[in-house]
Amino acid sequence: MPNAIEMRQIRKYFESTGVLACDNVNLMVTKGEIHALVGENGAGKTTLMSILYGLVTPDSGQILVDEKPVHIGHPNDAIQAGIGMVHQHFKLVPGFTIAENIMLGIEPNQMGFINGKAEAEAVRKLSQSFGLPVDPKLRVADISVGLQQRVEILKALQRNAQILILDEPTAVLTPQEVHELYTVIRKLAQDGRTILLITHKLLEVKDVADRVSVMRRGQMIGTHNVADVTIRDMARMMVGREVILQVEKKPAQPAEMVLKVENLLVAGMGGVPAVLGVDLEVRAGEILGVAGVTGNGQTELVEAITGMRAADAGRITMLGKDITHCTVRERREHGMAHIPEDRMVIGLNLMTNLDENVVVTHYHEPPYSTRGIFNRKPIRALAQKIIDSFQVRSARVGEGISTLSGGNLQKIVLGRELSGSPKLVIINQPTRGLDVGSIEFVHKTLIQARDAGAAILLISVELEEIFSLSDRIAVMFDGRINGVLQAEDATEQDVGLLMAGGSLEPEKVQVSL
Amino acid sequence: MTSSKLRQYFENAAIPIFAVLLGLLVSSLFVLAAKSDPVQTYQRLFCEGFGPRGCQNFSDLIIFRAPAADNPAVMQSFFAPLYGVGGHPLAVVTERATILILTALSATVAFQAGLFSIGMDGQLVLGAITAAFLGYWLPNQIYALAGVGDIKGASETLVTVMHLFVPLVCLAAAMLVGAIYSFIPGYLKVKLNVNELIVTIILNSIAVSIVHYLINNPLRADFTNTARTARIDDTAWLVPFNRGLLPNVEWFDGSRVGVGIIMALVAAAAIGFYLWRTTAGYEQRMTRGSGLFARFAGVANERAALRAMLISGALSGLAGAIQIIGVERRVVDGFASAGLGFDGVLVAVLARESIVGIIIVGTFFAGLEQGAINLQFGDIPRQLGGIIIAFIILFNSMEAFFQKGLTRLRLWLRPPRTTSASNEVVV
Repeated sequence: MPNAIEMRQIRKYFESTGVLACDNVNLMVTKGEIHALVGENGAGKTTLMSILYGLVTPDSGQILVDEKPVHIGHPNDAIQAGIGMVHQHFKLVPGFTIAENIMLGIEPNQMGFINGKAEAEAVRKLSQSFGLPVDPKLRVADISVGLQQRVEILKALQRNAQILILDEPTAVLTPQEVHELYTVIRKLAQDGRTILLITHKLLEVKDVADRVSVMRRGQMIGTHNVADVTIRDMARMMVGREVILQVEKKPAQPAEMVLKVENLLVAGMGGVPAVLGVDLEVRAGEILGVAGVTGNGQTELVEAITGMRAADAGRITMLGKDITHCTVRERREHGMAHIPEDRMVIGLNLMTNLDENVVVTHYHEPPYSTRGIFNRKPIRALAQKIIDSFQVRSARVGEGISTLSGGNLQKIVLGRELSGSPKLVIINQPTRGLDVGSIEFVHKTLIQARDAGAAILLISVELEEIFSLSDRIAVMFDGRINGVLQAEDATEQDVGLLMAGGSLEPEKVQVSL
Repeated sequence: MTSSKLRQYFENAAIPIFAVLLGLLVSSLFVLAAKSDPVQTYQRLFCEGFGPRGCQNFSDLIIFRAPAADNPAVMQSFFAPLYGVGGHPLAVVTERATILILTALSATVAFQAGLFSIGMDGQLVLGAITAAFLGYWLPNQIYALAGVGDIKGASETLVTVMHLFVPLVCLAAAMLVGAIYSFIPGYLKVKLNVNELIVTIILNSIAVSIVHYLINNPLRADFTNTARTARIDDTAWLVPFNRGLLPNVEWFDGSRVGVGIIMALVAAAAIGFYLWRTTAGYEQRMTRGSGLFARFAGVANERAALRAMLISGALSGLAGAIQIIGVERRVVDGFASAGLGFDGVLVAVLARESIVGIIIVGTFFAGLEQGAINLQFGDIPRQLGGIIIAFIILFNSMEAFFQKGLTRLRLWLRPPRTTSASNEVVV
């Protein structure tokens, strides 16, 4: 088969950050294949694809499409060359209909007046010809994330993309939506289109890709047939060392009740109810995993338990004390630790240095301050202790943290929150955006905290994570807990069904679309 | 200190310096339009602002010169006070800098809590009128209570006690008024999420109108052409150095610089300590930005923000009081609308909210303003000073532009080395 894409000796150095994102990278993608590009965060895979799509200009190197050299200096050049890209964060206009979004910029018109009927008709034909059903009249704001992704794919196909780049396409999807996406991808490949899949989920690579290219620290480590390599091999190539994929953990030893949530009602943005009567129990020495698709009330649930958002009704009890109306500080002094989903804005203050970040939960207590005045020594000692025991590479006492990687930032948050041996740990999306090596570390740390007797409430949209850490799994859907399963008995199908609003009782099986 | 920290300091200082140079360069177009010679104009601007008496050109500003033996007044250097001849323009600059430093500190405390309060002007004029009123009214009340009919007949002990006590009351009252006036936008922001920028702008106009009314009506002292309050009593006066503490130091001749500058410097040190060494200052700095970080950690956000506004207001009130009981001794119509407090905001922005920066920039600004005022006695319009200052601020806000330039420069000096794969893995 001929090559659909060949990238030769691509080099890109980012002046502002001093990062060599692509170090003379070569990539060959055969026509009609599904080619996965994997690597840790900062390995350069997104930069390489941005170069291919004309979003980033390389310092040197050559790009060949269908074996002919092309110049791609702008996304328009890429589209001209038959390359389409579906970004991780969709670039759709929420207020526009599906048809308007797909035809944006290429609207059928008469003297500048858009012909809405022709637009809808064109989209209908397009969706039929590819077997990707959509209703052109629906507004993008009203459709599910999975459907939005389909609109993005159709948008690229309408522009006659022969080569489709998908950047982390499954990050926001439910397991069912993921399977639908796989079907679509396979069908497009069978029709002779080439698919380039950027991902760091190795399971996905195994499931859908034909070949895989691995990048590490700006370099291409190698390209392999997926059939010839194991997940373990790929992980080793990505990280550069042996990685333990499945965390080893002993069976949980649940002890006394630590957190009890009863009939909790919480309003979200704009006063719309987001949590509609949640009941939860977490005991010391166990991890309760809350699974669910983003936006089903998990954020509001966490904020209400940790005291960042007021609960409208219901009761939260921690170690026998009613904390429903306690302040954040009172909850923390009672032994609660919180690792929030957004470490850049909530968990850390990137505008200040490491010392001031690690002391934020205890700054008002001795030995860190006496009578309102800081004592530098104990603070520096704390910072150094966190650097050492949590292996925060490239962080230094007294210096800024804004240039640290996501993994190192998360280690700082973990170090700070776990250093006071908390009795209850609320942790939301602990490994979002982290690479394999950091994920391994975070998971190990959480198991250690559990074994030390902490009660852990884990909220994650990553099913893999929920399964590998949890002792019990609660599934959240539409502001409610749609079922609680013992981790040993739970299957991915069951949890996926509950995540989509279905029920496990056979007579009530229904999947909302 | 590590080399990276040193470099950081250098880069922090480099941008304002570039901004000043570029501001002067672009302003020279306007000087040319006014049919003047830019080099000549700038020489005079800086000589009038910062130079010793008799300063003619840039070299006189910088180079050490001993006074000429035959005519000591002609050529003095920056170090002239060592020779004890004549007053130095820097003394006048220091007098002007006092108020700029205090209002810039006021703005910085608010900014460091993430509150873009520019209410310094309103707080300052209300503080000033409070000090002017108390400086006149309080001593008279005391004389009446003590049964002293003629002021000259007051006992020396009474006068001494009053000299210590009355100015303190004036300063404290002005700080209180400023703090209360600053508390309003803070409270509205914290409780109702009302934009503090808009509220402080409105409160500034209200304060100016209130002071204008007070000067023209209840507090009007006499019926001269310009309305003004009564002159404060001598016991309320923060006596300038050359009239009180240091009568024989000629350096201070012609200026009214006094204890105020010492208070401003002490305030600068105190604010620096508060912001960077105390938990209270830490709390207010952590609320900056989205405020989510502070809330997440359990910091009492609202209290920290209100505290910042109170301190900010007190500093502006203090600035107004010092200007009245230390310099002007009465409030004259026009004082309120001079926009004295707003210059402090500019200084704070230009100094990037650094305490040392505020002292340097405040002094520099005071010199520029002084130089510009003196320029108008020549053939150059006074507005030129304003134009230069405006351009400096404009260029200073182009941080990203300079940052890019600095990065380029660094790369050019030290090109990066390419890394090579360290540990290859064989599958």
